[in-house]
Amino acid sequence: MSTRNTNNNAREQLLTRREFVMLLVGAGMSVALANILADPLNPLFQKILGGNIDRERYAAASTDKPRWGMVIDLSKCIGCEYCVYACQATNDVTDAMRWNVHIVDQTPTGDIFHMTRPCLHCNNAPCVSVCPVSATYSREDGLVVMDYDKCIGCRYCEVACPYGARSFNWEARGDEPNPRAPEWGTPEVPRRPRGVVEKCTFCIHRIDAGLAAGLIPGVDPAATPACVNICPVTARYFGDLNNPESEVSRIIASTATFRLREDLGTEPNVYYIPPEGLAI
Amino acid sequence: MISLAGRTARRSPLLAIWYLFLFTMVAIGVYSGARVLIEGLRVTNLTDELPWGLWIVIDLSSIALGAGAFTLSAAVYVFGLKHYASIARAAVFVGLLGYTSAMLALFVDIGRPDRFYHPVLYWNPHSVLWEITIAVMFYTTVLVLEFTPIIVESTPLNRYSLARWLGHRLHQVMPVVALIGMGISMVHQSSLGATYGILTARPVWFSPTAPVLFILSAVAAGPALTLLVTMISGELMQKRMVPEDVLQGVARFVGFASLAYLYLKLWSWMSVNYYSHVPGHAASIRILNENTPYDFTFWWGEVLMGALVPAIIFLWPRLRRNRYMLMLGALMVVAGLVINRWNVTLSGLVVPLDWSPGVLDVFPINTYEPSLIEWGVAAGIVGYSWLGWTLGVRYLRLYPNVVRVVRRRAVTRPAVAEGGEQPATAR
Repeated sequence: MSTRNTNNNAREQLLTRREFVMLLVGAGMSVALANILADPLNPLFQKILGGNIDRERYAAASTDKPRWGMVIDLSKCIGCEYCVYACQATNDVTDAMRWNVHIVDQTPTGDIFHMTRPCLHCNNAPCVSVCPVSATYSREDGLVVMDYDKCIGCRYCEVACPYGARSFNWEARGDEPNPRAPEWGTPEVPRRPRGVVEKCTFCIHRIDAGLAAGLIPGVDPAATPACVNICPVTARYFGDLNNPESEVSRIIASTATFRLREDLGTEPNVYYIPPEGLAI
Repeated sequence: MISLAGRTARRSPLLAIWYLFLFTMVAIGVYSGARVLIEGLRVTNLTDELPWGLWIVIDLSSIALGAGAFTLSAAVYVFGLKHYASIARAAVFVGLLGYTSAMLALFVDIGRPDRFYHPVLYWNPHSVLWEITIAVMFYTTVLVLEFTPIIVESTPLNRYSLARWLGHRLHQVMPVVALIGMGISMVHQSSLGATYGILTARPVWFSPTAPVLFILSAVAAGPALTLLVTMISGELMQKRMVPEDVLQGVARFVGFASLAYLYLKLWSWMSVNYYSHVPGHAASIRILNENTPYDFTFWWGEVLMGALVPAIIFLWPRLRRNRYMLMLGALMVVAGLVINRWNVTLSGLVVPLDWSPGVLDVFPINTYEPSLIEWGVAAGIVGYSWLGWTLGVRYLRLYPNVVRVVRRRAVTRPAVAEGGEQPATAR
């Protein structure tokens, strides 16, 4: 010990001054970043998620009849499937019944692109018009939702949906762990019983609770679908299509977008930005 | 012709074997049905991509084959062809068995059988399936009403004046009941076709002719089944169930109905498949032809053997007068209908959906083969309807004008007249 103290050679020092300062800066930045990430309501995070939304202008332009919609930018999507997993964790969905799906498709020029699909929440939803018990219905705000207490499990909606956006509970679920929790989130809704059909809700529970708390869906993460929050490349946007100041409205107004199978007249509320090389 | 039953029917070993066979089928059905109710629909081979299978085919077929009830009741009570009253009761019974079979199939098929009554509570008038459910419920009630007088007069209930009065009253209002029944039937038989015809995302299904094809095929196959079971029962019991001219009349009607069905079917095929090349539709038919025997079953099963050949048999008097040809023709119409309902249901689901905007065929072709338990339930439902018919034809007065026939001596003598009703030999 004494030899060490006496031998004051720079090479044997634990830290140089430079290293010490770097470490201090690094730790400080980590703490700051962790703070931002841990608090979704941090203004910095909102800036990333909500783009350039001006809350005052948004509030001025908003009506009492919102129509919730999504924009998915296929030119950005990298196929990481984070949206799939976050959705599974948040809505307690099994691997076999995924509400969000990811597939790899190809443009006519031969380039692959990543295609993801939640429920499209059609304005003219075929599933709604065929349901014999009104268990699935369109809300005023455009959401196509299920009443699991009414559903008789006839599966006509599965047959009728042009997008394969519905899953049937072929078997009863026990209390086996969620395949994606807790890594990708915590279940926020109860499991569905055996024998009913289920589907993506645009995280309706977050939207309704968020609005009640004065939050803006698509801007405030607590009021935004899990798949939108998690996307690492901001390929998904969410918001009120009836509000011209919302991010989704502004993208649709300024960018070429398309909807899946427009020819069917289903009028989906999910818009896609095409990947490069895909003429729509 | 040596009869299987005849005078010693009750002691016939063949009859005992037949009963044993039917009870075995019902037992298999009860076991399979219980497995489904306990374990859920995971015991089927159905998937999210192909969620309807054998049971829906049975449901559709049973309802279509029960259409003889409304067709022949309408002939008697609405169009005044009193003549056909001798077969109308049997048709009502076939209808009752068909509709209850369909209800059994649906009860097992839906994911929540405990909520079977929900369509009554939670209306969706936009839904063809809601409308079908309500219509089937009302029509089954109509069938029960039409059938009550038969039960009353065939059983010890006839001793009670109240039951007799009820039966008599129902008999009096029967024209009204039959008219209501016809209206409800016309609507829901075609709505069953609309179940498929309205689905824009399935090119094989999406068609304005689907509802009309469904009702035309039902109007042909329903009376055909009534004809078939009437003749088979007559052969086995050595009885002439209905006057010959009634059989001939029903056969002619089935022949014309088959032709009408064929006419629309061919035009439907030509306009969509032959004279046009709509991308989604052409691709779907190609997928079906490459992966399934759709082409063969459509042309040979549905068109040729299911409609064209029977129409020739039924409309060519020389063939029609041969009772074996008549039975063969009726069997072909019935088989053709079941093949059609299978083809319609499965063809639309085998072809995968196409919603991804890229050029790859990203979704695999869906395949389906019913699981053993699905077959088990099917056997149970078929066993139920055959058992119902066997018991009904033996113990109920389904044929008011029945005449016992002893073919060997070629002598016809009237049956023991029950309730003072006159035998029909006079006709």
